[in-house]
Amino acid sequence: MPLAFAALCPIWGMWRRKACFPWSLLGVAITSFLVWSLIGKVNASKVVAYNVSGWRPPWGIQIRIDYMGLLMACLITGVGLMLLIYSWRYIVSEIKEERIPYYYTLYLLIFTAMLGFSITSDLFNFFVFMEIFSITSYALVAISGERMALRAAFKYLLMGAISSLTVLFAIAFLYSATGSLNMLDISSRLKSTAYLPVASVALILFIAAFAVKSALFPVHVWLPDAHSIAPSPVSALLSALVIKMGVLGIFRILFTVYGHSFSGLSSTWNSIAGVVAWAAALSIILGSVMAIIQRDLKIMIAYSSVSQIGYILLGITLISTRGMAGGLYNIVAHAMGKACLFLVAGIFIYKHGLRRIENLRGIGRTMPVTAGAFALAALSIVGVPPSAGFVAKWYILWGCFQEGQYAFVIVVLLGSLLSAVYCFRVVYYMFFTGAGRPGVGLDEAPFTMLAPTAILSVGTLFFGIFATLLLPSLNNAARVLLLK
Amino acid sequence: MNFSRMFHNLNYVVSALLFLMGLYTVVVKPNLIKKLIGLNIMETSVFLFIVSIGMVEGGEAPIVAEGVKSSQMVNPIPQALILTGIVVAVSTTAVALSLCLKIHERYGTLNAAEILGRGEP
Repeated sequence: MPLAFAALCPIWGMWRRKACFPWSLLGVAITSFLVWSLIGKVNASKVVAYNVSGWRPPWGIQIRIDYMGLLMACLITGVGLMLLIYSWRYIVSEIKEERIPYYYTLYLLIFTAMLGFSITSDLFNFFVFMEIFSITSYALVAISGERMALRAAFKYLLMGAISSLTVLFAIAFLYSATGSLNMLDISSRLKSTAYLPVASVALILFIAAFAVKSALFPVHVWLPDAHSIAPSPVSALLSALVIKMGVLGIFRILFTVYGHSFSGLSSTWNSIAGVVAWAAALSIILGSVMAIIQRDLKIMIAYSSVSQIGYILLGITLISTRGMAGGLYNIVAHAMGKACLFLVAGIFIYKHGLRRIENLRGIGRTMPVTAGAFALAALSIVGVPPSAGFVAKWYILWGCFQEGQYAFVIVVLLGSLLSAVYCFRVVYYMFFTGAGRPGVGLDEAPFTMLAPTAILSVGTLFFGIFATLLLPSLNNAARVLLLK
Repeated sequence: MNFSRMFHNLNYVVSALLFLMGLYTVVVKPNLIKKLIGLNIMETSVFLFIVSIGMVEGGEAPIVAEGVKSSQMVNPIPQALILTGIVVAVSTTAVALSLCLKIHERYGTLNAAEILGRGEP
């Protein structure tokens, strides 16, 4: 559906440039409505499935919306809608006018690909959607055409392309071991396959490749460049949603395809989950430390993404129900919080051209709503109650205690402390310094930029206070996945 | 090590070697175009591997016809996958080459080390 809109977008753009935005908005809004209408039809043990062109699995391609897929799809449509509204005014200031139709086309494409990635149950389809959103995101990083942007995009492309090829290689291994491409079919055939070494090599390749996509610690080097140099709505999109796709990839491979209670490979599976958990712990600490020493606001936010991804993956790989629920909850919390932070950074650049943190002195007085949104989202990133980030971290901690992993308890708490340092430094500059600047009135951003930012930041608070809307079903989903 | 078995699976061994060769080129060579060529070598190695999976000795095209047994058919799925894979690879290469073009326009060089050195404008 959004794909059709994406294909038509450049034609509209040739006809009249202004027509692109309403057209993309219409496409995204209709898709969002369709996705949201599925809420309630899906839970931990119930799925909505559709066989493309009538072929039954495992022969045909099946679209299968399970709990995880629906969660991601709702998040993509919700955050995506907000970012699209925001980019209407913002994007004019950062990219050339003749490129605006391309921007909306790429936006719709990446939106489609992420949705497809979350709901497909065919491994090769999975790969194709992954390539679509990867290639569009390289293009989106480079869209401003500046020197640094080109460099960052090329670096991103090299690492991304290598990881994509590794995924394809791994899919080939799995196909040769099982003769199937449907995830559930592979999962059931793996139990009786004679090619266990092949399957374990494929597992390692998959995890290594998706670690690059989700910017896990040793292979995160592309993220700060690409995310800080892209136009702000694009940074928000990449940080809030695209790296989550890497997490979703790890999740799908570990739980949908391979499965936790899997006799033949369980030692490999456990050691890989352990490696991912330690890499995630390192990401938490090092991402926060790197964020503290940055002076550029957007690079700081980008490094903070590295540490937050660490939290999500740590939660998922703890193999405890609470930890898993916390990790999944952090996906929601981080998507909203981080999108909001990048949008605020974008507003500062749009209004004043400010990127340095020191230059933000006293900006809370002239732009109270923007700075307030930043403060709310920062609270969620740090994990102060009653925000969504708090609920997520609380559950991850609970999971650590459940599994007796006390080293991770220290990591989680230390990470929170470090993120408090970098977040509140900015809040301090915004509100508590630079007072007494005379004759400065209110000077806020345009409404279409302010509204999405405010909605996202209130969203982090909303999902913190009303955590019971999501948590029971997340717990159920985790219990089903871990068979506990 | 069982060499006869390795020789029997020569396709797989070669594709793994090609994959590593490509990876080496991407990581080590400073020239951006050479890095891209390395990337293409990696792509080709994966394609070789996938096509080899579906190969049947003396196989026939997978069309239902008189006198062709289904066990004699070449597996069509890997070939279909590769067709899609080639399209994806071409689009990646196209994006990468256009980036290279722009980088050369802006920096006047394609050497990775020099581009990093000239980072700040």
